[in-house]
Amino acid sequence: MMKAEQLLRERRGKRNQLIVFLAFLAALTVWSAIGTNFTPGALWGGIGDGAGFLFVDLMPPDTAELPGLIGPALDTIYMSFVAMVIGALVASVLSIFAAATTSPHPVFQVGMRAFSAMLRNVPVIIWTILLVASFGLGKLVGTLSLIIVSIGMLVRCFAESLEEIDLGQVEALRSVGASYWQVITQAVLPQFLPSLIGWALFNLEVNVRASTIVGMVGGGGLGFTIQSGLKLFQYKEVSMAVLLVLAIVLATEFLTNRIRERII
Amino acid sequence: MTLLRVEDLKKVYADGTAALNGIDLTVEAGEFIVVIGPSGAGKSTLLRCLNRMVQPTSGKVLFQGTDTTGVSKRKLREIRRSMGMIFQGFNLVERLSVLANVLHGRLGYMSAWRGALGLFAKPDVEEATRLLQRVGLGEQLHKRADELSGGQQQRVGIARALAQKPQLILADEPIASLDPASSEIVMNSLYTFCKEDGIACLCNLHQVDVAKKYATRIIGIYKGTKVFDGTPEQLTDEMIDYIYNQHNDKASDQSEADGRLARALKKETA
Repeated sequence: MMKAEQLLRERRGKRNQLIVFLAFLAALTVWSAIGTNFTPGALWGGIGDGAGFLFVDLMPPDTAELPGLIGPALDTIYMSFVAMVIGALVASVLSIFAAATTSPHPVFQVGMRAFSAMLRNVPVIIWTILLVASFGLGKLVGTLSLIIVSIGMLVRCFAESLEEIDLGQVEALRSVGASYWQVITQAVLPQFLPSLIGWALFNLEVNVRASTIVGMVGGGGLGFTIQSGLKLFQYKEVSMAVLLVLAIVLATEFLTNRIRERII
Repeated sequence: MTLLRVEDLKKVYADGTAALNGIDLTVEAGEFIVVIGPSGAGKSTLLRCLNRMVQPTSGKVLFQGTDTTGVSKRKLREIRRSMGMIFQGFNLVERLSVLANVLHGRLGYMSAWRGALGLFAKPDVEEATRLLQRVGLGEQLHKRADELSGGQQQRVGIARALAQKPQLILADEPIASLDPASSEIVMNSLYTFCKEDGIACLCNLHQVDVAKKYATRIIGIYKGTKVFDGTPEQLTDEMIDYIYNQHNDKASDQSEADGRLARALKKETA
């Protein structure tokens, strides 16, 4: 009997907790809605305007603009690809210092983690704005900022993969009298290579998406075309460029998936 | 000739676990010594203190007259390359070829950058090929290491150790993850090659019958202390009982011994 009563009390306690939590959630929602002037009516009105913009101003995409967009589209691809290659090369060296399993000293590990977190956690748009201020507009700035965030992301991903390698293989090579770099290239690298390629390909996808944003604040490529098109009310050209971005993103995803399947 | 002399070797891990409580032993050239003892007795730690994969807390390890416990990095590489090591989990680089794994035995002799780039000299490649033929894997040269069976992988491990041209081989439970047939082949190869090449061997095992079959001398370890050191004939059933069940008559098999260690470790960390 005691037990049943206790259970009942416990369950009531839990139910009360849930009610309090839901009430809190509702209050938070209302408060945020007031703070942002959000009403369901506004949403409804917005849908009308949005649909008008989407289906009247932007449609149909101007295919005549396509030849002019090929250049910027290629720029977007170059930027993403170069940033991936350089980012992966730099990050593969830096991540060796950042991973607990391969770092020569814990001090390097902490330092490298902090450094890569800084590169990664400042949004790419901020990096571009900063770099535009020093280098001016263009593809170079776009590529540079993509390289910076690629390094930030890849050091983290690579280090995580490096920490999952089989240390038995490392131990074996240390036991034959191999030096630090011999162990890295002969025992660590063979294990690490598949995840290195996998992460680098994922980084390429991320870069293609990010390059649009980068372009919009002056980093060149399709993003730049979209931004200038919007400012000049060339909406049909903008929609063509957006379609092209979509096509590039999908194509990259498709390609990288195929390559990844091959490796694994 | 005394190849290795260990004096009062102690190891206390960072978590406070005392793995070795002052071990003394000697290894003469050409001996095949088997180290037995229950799991957690400190057998693996002992082997790893000899080539300094584990840094001993105190004591001396004199290898060919040099105390290895405080030597420079360069000298340590030289000492390690004269001691081959064979592992319970084989520890081959799985994604590389069988041949490359045997060639790894030469890394200690190569300049840092040649080794790092994997630029092995022609005589080394020929020697590695010969060694693989010797362990009966001449056909598997270019296979990826993880395509081989466990027993075959361990024979590659032996070939890797032999490629070092070592004076001593440290074998840490070489047959613990193998089936009886492969175990037999691996132990036979290890014993024969050590004998033929005049290499001394320190081999951790927990199969007492296997130990008695191959050993020229047996060392028994219990809780980080040497409790037996003698010929296989001197290792009586009472002595085996003493090594495995000492101070605790309830725990008679491996799993209970493991459980005891786990409980001890838990107490240690709590």
